[in-house]
Amino acid sequence: MRNHLISLILFIPLLGILGQTLVNRQRGRWIALFASLTASLASIGLVLLLSSSGSEGEISEAFQWIGSYAITYDMSVDGLNAILVLLIAILFPVLIASEWNQKLGVQGMHSLFLALQTSLFGIVCAQDLFLQFFFWGLSALPFYFLVGIWGGENREKAAFSSIVSSTLGNALIFSAGIIIYYSVDPHTFSLRELAKMHLIEKQISVLGYGMSVSSVAAVLMSLGLSLRAPVWPLHGWFTDVARESPLSVFVALSAGVMPVALYVFARTFYLLFPETLAHSASWIVMIGGLNLIIGGICAVSQKDLRRLMAFICISELGLTLMGIGSLSSAGVVGSIYHHLMLGLALAGFGLFTNVISERIGHTEFEENSNVNSLGGIVEQAPVISVVAAIVVASLLGFPGFGGFVGHTLMMIGSYSFSPVTVMLTVVALLLAAYYLFSMYRRIFLGKSDSNSSQFQDLTLREKLYMSPLVGALLLFGLYPKPLIDLIRPTVLKMLIGIK
Amino acid sequence: MNDFLLILPEVLLVLTLAFMVIGEIAYTGEQVRLISVSALIGLTGALIQVLISYRMGTVLAFGHALTIDAFSLFFKLIFITLAIFTIFSTLQTSEISPGRRPEYIALIVAATLAMCFVASASDMILGFLSLLFLNTASYLLSAYGRRATLSTEAAVKYLSFGAVGAVLLLYSLAILFVHTQTLNIYEMHQALVRSPLPASTMLIAFMFSFLAISFYIGVFPMYFLVPDVLEGAPTPVSALLAMGTRTAGFAFSIRYLISIFTVLGPGKDQWQIASVPDWTTIVSAISGITMLVGALLAYRQRSAKRLVSYLVVVESGFSLMGLVVLDGGGIAAILYNFVVELLAFVGIYYVLSVFNDKFQADEFDSLKGLLKKSVAETICFVLFLFCIVGSPPLPGFIGKFALIGTAVRHDRLILAGMGVMAMILSTIAVARLAYYLVGDFRVSTAQVVNFSRPHKYFLTALVIPLFLVGIFADWIFGWAGKSVSFIFW
Repeated sequence: MRNHLISLILFIPLLGILGQTLVNRQRGRWIALFASLTASLASIGLVLLLSSSGSEGEISEAFQWIGSYAITYDMSVDGLNAILVLLIAILFPVLIASEWNQKLGVQGMHSLFLALQTSLFGIVCAQDLFLQFFFWGLSALPFYFLVGIWGGENREKAAFSSIVSSTLGNALIFSAGIIIYYSVDPHTFSLRELAKMHLIEKQISVLGYGMSVSSVAAVLMSLGLSLRAPVWPLHGWFTDVARESPLSVFVALSAGVMPVALYVFARTFYLLFPETLAHSASWIVMIGGLNLIIGGICAVSQKDLRRLMAFICISELGLTLMGIGSLSSAGVVGSIYHHLMLGLALAGFGLFTNVISERIGHTEFEENSNVNSLGGIVEQAPVISVVAAIVVASLLGFPGFGGFVGHTLMMIGSYSFSPVTVMLTVVALLLAAYYLFSMYRRIFLGKSDSNSSQFQDLTLREKLYMSPLVGALLLFGLYPKPLIDLIRPTVLKMLIGIK
Repeated sequence: MNDFLLILPEVLLVLTLAFMVIGEIAYTGEQVRLISVSALIGLTGALIQVLISYRMGTVLAFGHALTIDAFSLFFKLIFITLAIFTIFSTLQTSEISPGRRPEYIALIVAATLAMCFVASASDMILGFLSLLFLNTASYLLSAYGRRATLSTEAAVKYLSFGAVGAVLLLYSLAILFVHTQTLNIYEMHQALVRSPLPASTMLIAFMFSFLAISFYIGVFPMYFLVPDVLEGAPTPVSALLAMGTRTAGFAFSIRYLISIFTVLGPGKDQWQIASVPDWTTIVSAISGITMLVGALLAYRQRSAKRLVSYLVVVESGFSLMGLVVLDGGGIAAILYNFVVELLAFVGIYYVLSVFNDKFQADEFDSLKGLLKKSVAETICFVLFLFCIVGSPPLPGFIGKFALIGTAVRHDRLILAGMGVMAMILSTIAVARLAYYLVGDFRVSTAQVVNFSRPHKYFLTALVIPLFLVGIFADWIFGWAGKSVSFIFW
């Protein structure tokens, strides 16, 4: 089905950026919110349209862009990326609203969020490798400026490590793209065309050794993506950014870019490198397992909400990788579904941390002689306590909350791959239960102190921007069927390549 | 008479130059306005004439001394547009005092005339003389700044190395002339195909030629001169030298190297090396070294102008990458990149000259927080910089992709890898500079500086076409491809 709504969603945030430059600060932020919300509503409309169009539907828009290099502007939404489209639609208006009262260059910050919304939407919808990389590259720079300008004391170092890591990652992905493009005849970047071309049979000479294009490109691409999604041991920059960046920016990175990177990994591997994926599935699951456990162990020792969130990201990323590597429909459907739920839960975590940080000036939650600790705020701030409880429950995969479906499906899928993976997941969930409940007990249920008695609950604005996150976590936790029905046919089609 | 019609753009430039010189002598009152306006009118006329010349097809003029083909017309469009931009940015800067502008603008027109002849020359003596004419204009322009010490040093260095380059080129031409008994590039080619030179002699001729060319295009081993000259020259001149002289060097190199040192290959717009040794391997290595050294040194800089100068070196390395593959696709990629560079480098140097005029800012520390004082200029500057290093989604990325892609297509994976490394390093270098500009704007207490309307129009005239070059990349590639297809060999 052809539809120009995709381009509209892509360009509305950019128009918002332009609009912001023409007006003052007060009107500027309304324009930013309006642009982001309009794009989001259109995105939700697009997903509803897709959902009503049938089980294997696809909405697309395509025309030739650079004919001399067979580069096409081919954008489409199907069952797989619809989940990410929803995530981006919910995330960015919330982030813009969360930085409503930003005193320093609010228009600049909102413009960068709008640029990110466009770029992430472009990445997930692009069906042309060049176009996908085009948007992928666009998503790197805003973080550099967001961290560098609005970050903490050591923002320069964090911004620098972020740009170095993303530039390296971009270079590796760019190299993979060029190798793929020139290995096929006729040269093409189209994912649809490339999927039919059996890259495993194409050879490339590296220092005199003949290697399969599929293997070389898969290694380059996964390394490149690992430098943007914080895969252990390449996650050093991520913890720097977690410590120094504004929390809204860290949310955009962990709840936006990380699921998108995982999606790109899943899509390109299943579509372009199915044979390589089949051979390396055990490696992917192993790396996923390592991240799951290492992230969990590191999270246990954290006394700071920012760093805790960073290690939760690493751990959850490991779990999602295990689902992708399981090669089973349950595992892959679970991992794709989990992209959305993880994104929403991480956004919720980051934003309630932001509220705490704004109220008390720090994010440490263990008693410390140097900072004013926080404890037992449930009585003074019941709403934020409930929000945090829903987020924690979702991260732990409690029944009825968003994380439950994804966790369960991934465990079922992984079991068919190896029962050890289920044991690893259980261990990780036990660790998560320990560190998340410790944190929750200390901050929300623990003994009240002087800080806590003055703690102000969520304001109306905060409640408004938290509600889409909490609502979606509850809604999709209780009624996942529409989304599962949307994802499953596309995943089954994708798995045919593996079989 | 017909021959003069074929070179009407150059004739118009000569007339403009003559009018400017006479006008400067005859009128002492309003010479500034008279000179700049007449220069702009003359250049616009020449630009229109170049566009009209596309209808004539490929022709040889003045006894085959000049070739009027799509390739030379492409470069003429670049040079004349660059001259118009340079004159406009000169009028906006205080680096060149109004009283000294007439001679200065006359020199820009003279340099443009020389570049146009370089792009068309198919007789080696004419090519050599045009390069010397261009050098002379460039020495004078680079020594024109108010920052006398740096400018003078730059001009002296430029002069000394220019002399060495000219002598080396002359030696190589002498070697080729002795063997072929002709100075016409096409006749030389025929003679060399009929009776090739011994490999060692060919190698010597190539090395002399390439060392001379490396001076004009600013690649290893002559690259170290580029930052000194570009830093010392008045900022608008830096744009002219970075884009004009270097691009003219490439126009000459492409026609000369491919005509003399290659023969036609198996496919359309393909060439292969004429004889051993394989000079493309040497040029490949030089391209890789130039890109990496340029990018590494760019990263080490603390002065914005000097950093940009090293980016010019990196760009030269990239352009060489398109040449070594010896096919039309590679050269079309170089030409596409030149269009991007034209807009981006003019923009970069223009904003640098604005920063220098208004804030005396060039060192990184002095650039801190400029975003607050000068919002549009800073944002445009950052855009131009990221475009040059090939960051998506700016058109520079499409150019870099095309160049690196040609290297991959011809199995030059190491060269392509070096190109990717250079992209990474230059992106990091530029990100550092950009961070200084925007990073500390929260501590800046300065007020926004208001700029004139022509200034805003000029920046818009650079930014909008830059985006259009990306959006209509296919059209530009088509134009570049046709410029290569209709080149007269």
